[in-house]
Amino acid sequence: MSEFGGTLIDTDILVIGAGAGGLLAALSAKRHGAPGTRVSIADTWLVGRTGHTAFSNAWTVVVEPEDDLEAITREIIAGNDWMADQVLVREVLAMSWDRLKDLEGLDLKFPKDDRGRYIRRPTRGLDDTRVLCPVGGGLEFSWRLRQGLEAEGVQILDRIFVTGLMRGRGDAIVGAVGIHSRTGAFHAIKAHATVVCTNAITFRSGFVRDITGTGTLLAYKAGAALRNAEFSYTRPGTPRFYFEGITFAIQEGARFVNAKGERFMPRHEPIWGDEADVPRIARAMAIERQQGNDPLYLDMSLVPESIRETFIKSKVKWMEYFYRKLGKETQTEIFGSTPYYPQNQMTKMGIRTDAACRSDVPGLLSAGLAQAGAANHFAGFHIGMCIGTGWIAGRSAVEDLGRLRAPVLDAAEVRALHAEIDRERNDAEEAASDRVLRDLQALMFAWDVSVWKHAARLEPALDRLATIRERFGALAAPHTHELVRLKETEAMLLAAEIILKASLYRTESRLSHFREDCDLRDDANWLCWVDICDGRGAPQFSKTPIRTPISAPGGPEGRAVKRAVKGAA
Amino acid sequence: MIETIDVAHCTGCGICDLVCPADVIHMEDVARETEVQGLAQHKLLPVIKFREHCITCFSCEIFCPETIVDVHPVVKNRPRAW
Repeated sequence: MSEFGGTLIDTDILVIGAGAGGLLAALSAKRHGAPGTRVSIADTWLVGRTGHTAFSNAWTVVVEPEDDLEAITREIIAGNDWMADQVLVREVLAMSWDRLKDLEGLDLKFPKDDRGRYIRRPTRGLDDTRVLCPVGGGLEFSWRLRQGLEAEGVQILDRIFVTGLMRGRGDAIVGAVGIHSRTGAFHAIKAHATVVCTNAITFRSGFVRDITGTGTLLAYKAGAALRNAEFSYTRPGTPRFYFEGITFAIQEGARFVNAKGERFMPRHEPIWGDEADVPRIARAMAIERQQGNDPLYLDMSLVPESIRETFIKSKVKWMEYFYRKLGKETQTEIFGSTPYYPQNQMTKMGIRTDAACRSDVPGLLSAGLAQAGAANHFAGFHIGMCIGTGWIAGRSAVEDLGRLRAPVLDAAEVRALHAEIDRERNDAEEAASDRVLRDLQALMFAWDVSVWKHAARLEPALDRLATIRERFGALAAPHTHELVRLKETEAMLLAAEIILKASLYRTESRLSHFREDCDLRDDANWLCWVDICDGRGAPQFSKTPIRTPISAPGGPEGRAVKRAVKGAA
Repeated sequence: MIETIDVAHCTGCGICDLVCPADVIHMEDVARETEVQGLAQHKLLPVIKFREHCITCFSCEIFCPETIVDVHPVVKNRPRAW
């Protein structure tokens, strides 16, 4: 065991995670705080060059003053299959115009037409909502925000991997501990308020596989409740390379077909066919697989030659490199019959908060996809929610400075958190967490566990998970790189248990949660959040009815409603 | 997935290491012998330390001022299971 020692950082507000949620939370805290308020932002890697946002187009929903805010709010709530905190969603949308102006104030440019109007576009399946993205996409977005934070005096803590939250000598969270992700040096960050913005947990499967979202599990262990564990973002994709644009491809004539060459979507979704919601495409694919009709393809042969080039272009810098370097053979494959299957991008499990982004634990707030305000973050709404919740959380954290008692650290707790990390270091061990991860991915991505669920398959999956966890318990890390991965895998194993159990708990089908044995929506019994609390080492599940002050199922139906609801016209 | 870094043309600026969001590239000290036996020249150069964990984000290639990093677009380590 190494000797106890490290660095203590003292701050007022600590933001953990530097995607859109974290960056906006830090900016908001600095701008709402009194002069001299200390704000720090930590990320496992380089702030401004990491996170889901940095590698996206950074499409974001913006409601202009002349737009119909109520109509947009209602269709987005419906697009979430009512799994949304309606008050929070409305506030995020209502403030989106002001946030756009904040971003422009940081020299981020948004495209405009000749008459000076923003160039926006509709997003998948919605009528009134419009989204836009900055010039330079997510990389520019993230870097401009980093520069803005530095200019306003926010402390940037690059390469700090947070491993635990501190309770100190009271009931509130008083900061976090972690290690430098390269040197392994121990850090304790004492803070009056802590904002977790580490994304929803993933199983290293999304297109940005550095994101693992461990902060949500740290919050859970610290007493915060989680929700939305039964939902996931599972998107059909190609196995060998990254190709986005299903929506546009389908609009231009692409069709999903099975191994027999049959168009299968109309059979599963008679009204919407290939234009059905992404989760419902995944469901149809899983049923095709169950019926022995795989492999499945996105047949792009009907996409006109004249527009094919548009599918191998991107405004995102890394995608631009990607397409430029793709071999001819791969490009041909895109326009022939491209094998497709549903790929799990991320879970939807986040921290339960109120509409002010405060968790149940004093001193602990959450924003971005780590916050469980909505279970579906479709294009544009995704980062829009991160920007909005980040802003709200930063503002609430400042308000909490005056409400909470000054943080007092507990030396025994800090030492115990240090020992927990130290216990997992062993120079003589082999780095083996990847093997556990692969087994976990195989378990959690199986079509009949992750997409097309059934109690008779979820129960055995829990048994298999227990075996994997047993193997994991014997592992140690020979170096810091592996230690970070080990801690991330540990969080994924806990997340897997929660996800499987939450999937068993919700005995209906809704949004991206499909139960073969309960394949109907059940608003009477399940218009509820499934909340998860740590009950003496085992997750405890309960239902909380979803409040519907703005929109309830059965109201005026837009396209979003029709797409989400099975059988609706 | 990252393929090569042409270290012969590397200035040792360390940007590739800094921007990597997966801790794949590490700057490491490389000692070169000189005309005086026992004396060495030291330079920090990038090493592809954990290639298997590359996420194919192209950051190292995009931000390298010398354009000496090559990332292949096909993702070889993507989980294949469903």
